[in-house]
Amino acid sequence: MSSRGGKQKKGNVTSEQEEEEQPLQAVLVADSFNRRFFPISKDQPRALLPLGNVAMIDYTLEFLTSTGVQETFVFCCWMSNKIKDHLLKSKWCRPTSPNVVHIITSDLYRSLGDVLRDVDAKNLVRNDFILVYGDVVSNIDVSQALQEHRHRRKVDKNISVMTMVFKESSPGHKTRCEEDDVIVAMDSKSKRVLHYQKTQGLKKLQFPMNIFQHGSDEFEIRHDLLDCHISICSPQVAELFTDNFDYQTRNDFVRGILVNEEILGNQIHLYVTQDGYGARVSNLQMYDSVSLDMVRRWVYPLTPEANFTDQQGQGCTHSRHNVYRGAEVSLGHGSQMEENVLIGRDTSIGANCHISNSVIGNNCTIGDNVVLDRAHMWNNVHVSSNVEIHQSVVCDGAVVKEAVRLNKQCVLAYNVVIGPNLSLPEGTVVSMHHPEEEEEDDDDEFLSDDQEVGHSKDKTRQKAFNPAEVGPEGKGYIWKASMNDTEDEELAQCLWGLVLNPDPESDSESEASEESQDRSRSVSPEIDDVNAFQLEVLGTLQRGLEENIVCDNLVLEINSLKYAYNITLKEVMQILTRVVLEYPFQQQGTQLTTLQYTGSLLPLLKTWSPVFKNYIKRAQDHLDCLSAVEELFLEQDTHQTAMVKVLMKMYQLEILEEEAILKWFSTGATNDKSRQLRKNQGVRLGQICVWGKPSQNVKGYQFGHCGSLILLLQKETTLLIFSDGVQRKQTPCSQCHKKESCGMV
Amino acid sequence: MELQAVLMAAGGGSRMMDLTYNTPKPLLPVGNKPLIWYPLNLLERVGFEEVIVITTKEVQKMISTDPKVKLDVKMKLDLVCIQEDADMGTADALRHIQQKVKTDVLVVSCDLITDAALHEVVDLFRAHNATLSMLMSKAHEFTETVPGQKGKKKTGEQRDFVGVDGTGKRLLFMANEADLDEGVVIRKSIMRKHPRMHIKTGLVDAHLYCLKKSVVDFLADNKSISSIRGELVPYLVRKQFSKSTNSPKVIDETHQNLKKNDKIQISSRDEELLHLTQERSCWNDHRGDMSDAYHGGRLRCYVHIMDEGICYRVNTLAAYIEANRLAPKLFDEPAVHPSAVVSERCLIGADSIIGASCQISDKTSIKRSTIGVSTTVREKVKVTNSIIMHGVTIEEGCNIQGSVICSNAVIGRGADIKYCLVGSAQRIEPDGENPKLQARSLYFPYTQSPQPSIHPHPPPLPPTPPNSYKLKAQHSKRAQFKDSP
Repeated sequence: MSSRGGKQKKGNVTSEQEEEEQPLQAVLVADSFNRRFFPISKDQPRALLPLGNVAMIDYTLEFLTSTGVQETFVFCCWMSNKIKDHLLKSKWCRPTSPNVVHIITSDLYRSLGDVLRDVDAKNLVRNDFILVYGDVVSNIDVSQALQEHRHRRKVDKNISVMTMVFKESSPGHKTRCEEDDVIVAMDSKSKRVLHYQKTQGLKKLQFPMNIFQHGSDEFEIRHDLLDCHISICSPQVAELFTDNFDYQTRNDFVRGILVNEEILGNQIHLYVTQDGYGARVSNLQMYDSVSLDMVRRWVYPLTPEANFTDQQGQGCTHSRHNVYRGAEVSLGHGSQMEENVLIGRDTSIGANCHISNSVIGNNCTIGDNVVLDRAHMWNNVHVSSNVEIHQSVVCDGAVVKEAVRLNKQCVLAYNVVIGPNLSLPEGTVVSMHHPEEEEEDDDDEFLSDDQEVGHSKDKTRQKAFNPAEVGPEGKGYIWKASMNDTEDEELAQCLWGLVLNPDPESDSESEASEESQDRSRSVSPEIDDVNAFQLEVLGTLQRGLEENIVCDNLVLEINSLKYAYNITLKEVMQILTRVVLEYPFQQQGTQLTTLQYTGSLLPLLKTWSPVFKNYIKRAQDHLDCLSAVEELFLEQDTHQTAMVKVLMKMYQLEILEEEAILKWFSTGATNDKSRQLRKNQGVRLGQICVWGKPSQNVKGYQFGHCGSLILLLQKETTLLIFSDGVQRKQTPCSQCHKKESCGMV
Repeated sequence: MELQAVLMAAGGGSRMMDLTYNTPKPLLPVGNKPLIWYPLNLLERVGFEEVIVITTKEVQKMISTDPKVKLDVKMKLDLVCIQEDADMGTADALRHIQQKVKTDVLVVSCDLITDAALHEVVDLFRAHNATLSMLMSKAHEFTETVPGQKGKKKTGEQRDFVGVDGTGKRLLFMANEADLDEGVVIRKSIMRKHPRMHIKTGLVDAHLYCLKKSVVDFLADNKSISSIRGELVPYLVRKQFSKSTNSPKVIDETHQNLKKNDKIQISSRDEELLHLTQERSCWNDHRGDMSDAYHGGRLRCYVHIMDEGICYRVNTLAAYIEANRLAPKLFDEPAVHPSAVVSERCLIGADSIIGASCQISDKTSIKRSTIGVSTTVREKVKVTNSIIMHGVTIEEGCNIQGSVICSNAVIGRGADIKYCLVGSAQRIEPDGENPKLQARSLYFPYTQSPQPSIHPHPPPLPPTPPNSYKLKAQHSKRAQFKDSP
């Protein structure tokens, strides 16, 4: 019995092993599908650009091999022949290589999506595979991530389709660049990615609520992650790319999966490494930092002296302060290599040079008194004496003549000659390709890129070099951002990526505005409601006019708004009055004359009178309405004369009652201004009474000197209305105590 | 004196009106002690000698007169009364006692029952010279059946979103789900300073806050803030990252008040020294960049989140029942009060509490229950999972299970009560034999149109019941009595 059990166990183990033993595959995309490295990448594909004197694709392949990948598919498009040649010569294509490299080339690949669709069409992957770009430099051991990925797939039945590998690094770290900056919301326990967003150009990060409704009660929002662009994918990923032909990049894919999570039921997880190194050389800024990280041995065991590409003559020695010297390097008298310097073989350096944080390629010659700081020189570069180079890239075959100064972020592309006696301003890019040829090529998007270079070469000869730009003996053109790409992205033209600004001051502005918002909100939150309600009422009335909506429906709508914004009836009326009276201003601007104003307002009053009547019922309502009218006309003091017309119209439309108007007139004015208004309008108010009161037989009106209004009624009686008191019949004016003189006609 | 303790005990208990109808919330018996005793005891344990208790006149009167409400604390209680009908929030109350506040304050709510180590909160406050530090706990699931609540608990409750930094201490974000229509919006600059933010949702705020004195002064100037939890705390959390709060005195934004500014400077004279120390020290609260500790911010909010231990806010009926179950574990007192008369021939579980001068008769069994002061339990009664308050009389042969019987109620002979809440001074007196009350019902003296069989004595107070009451319609009761022969 026991032996049988043991056997069974063994059987299980072997079956598991078999599963594991399927060779780990990787898809390496040796094309970036963008032009970030133009014009450098016009002559050499990005994957073959040297970093620490080794082509970048070799780092990627070494990384894959060291994590146990046994079969790698290298997809190339741009200059595929060069990549193919390089790989065929390299150790990866030797028969002893543990990692079998298949090179698949096609000119039709225009994006990562195309590559993965081809992977699916050719049925290349059978199991989980690693997806990387040809410019990823990493020493991360992804075996644990792979294990987690497999475990998840086993437990959750293929729900998880991708595990993205991230490296922990604080914001502001120099290997983070703005364009690759991401923010990730994840479930703390399951490490599931809930939200993935590039933060470039954003000030506020918004996370939709639905990502927090997955039952978990703990989430993490992480901004301390550096995207290594290494992903562990299940075979479904290729299928999903086929299904969704609009997925172009991995970013599209991730967003698509997250948005359609509920429909497709696929999930993405992440794996965060703390001590590995992983970065993608996506722009020159990254190139600069990764290159220095390499020299500073962060990518150990991939170090310059390790010669992992196993090429003859590549070996170098490592001495303290991270100074590496290749074979046959000669160093002149008094030259100092301060720190983090890598010098390739057969390079000679003159006397009294200062070199720090730089990489110099093979077969370079450097003159006397040269200062190099963060210079990246590739092979066969000639630098004359008295040259200063700061944080710049000098490509193969370039010649820098005497007394040239390259300021920060300059690029000398292949075979350029600069100088003598010239200082290149910051960010200058000099190339043998004329920028205009680029434009011409751009017109034909579907031409193969290889061809572009071929047939444009003749044209370059025809154009003369500008000695002011490249020096009297210089050869090359200043490379400028071509204009027709502006719609694309301005950034795409910026060879050096944007540096992360560790403390952007720009934030303060938004903070300040937010603060003021805060303050107003905290002081009286109701104001917002009232304002919002006012806007809504305005909108409703506007729509009512446009669409000819019956007033009853308008009332219904306003009533529902009233509840939505928790507005009292009194406020409704005030707001309604205000909105209606302001309507002409709202529509035709504030520059209206009084005549125009009344002309447009009075018909409106007529149309909306049922709305008013619905709200103005009790005596108090009338007064409230009147005070709203008064308030408005106090603000619009140029239109005060219109007030009486408005009141009269409202009276005629039976919105306001005469008693109410009189009462309003007589109840005390609250301040000087309104008193003035009443006085001015008093005469006209009399008109209302006259016009409006045939019943009481008003014969005429008079105006008392203390502001009272005297209506002459029939039967020889008068009605006195005081500006501060009630109406009295035939009572002498109590204010001036002058029985005869005060208004008594 | 480093901290002054302020106990907020004026809340009406609006979420459990059924219980607080006759007894104010601070005096509800939990484990035969008034609710207010628990926070007082918590403060006493950590060495406070004086507490400012903000409460209502009613509570004050009852504390001083009612013998059943024995607070049993040695601390000096400074009772401050506020008007009940003034609708004051907690921040209003704090503003009310501003004159008494001389130092930083520790604000506790009267409904907090916890065994938390208070020093954790205070240590955060001290260590980071924080403006605010508070206590939170993982939310507990209430498993017991709650009277009056039928079916499952309503889902889709509004959750609080609390964002803390990588250490889990610094409070970065706080919002209620209800306010997050547009999703969680976080400024990038905050993420840059605190790149790893944990957002937690399953937390209960214990309503225990350490606040700087300047915050109390700030409240005095800003009358619009009325609640600590609802307005002040979110405000402070938000203010942590705004530019203008680089110095603590700017917290009161009224710059004109020069006098006030001077005062604050005088009161925090060692602040300068502290600042200097911070400048000279190589200590930093974060890693990853080279900026100063706290990124130069002077307003800091911290939170201590309890992973384990008891932390309840007794503000709902469910929490009240749960608290009663756990209360015996919080203090070591004999389960049966020495003055209680307990028959030898009855069964009392170890997890039950019998209050003072109770009478428990023969053949009675009491399990997992609390019996209040001066309660009489007659023969052959079975009480399980229930809370019996003070002065209740339970006649023979009753069976009470999972219920809450409020003070001075009388349960008639042979009643069978399951998952019910019986209101204060209510009499359950059947005319037939062995009445059986509808399970999961609430019985109140103010039920509309009382049934004579249930209410032989009309209740003294028939107020209009608030809308929120879930009153069981009488027909359900009628139905039961129809059933019984």
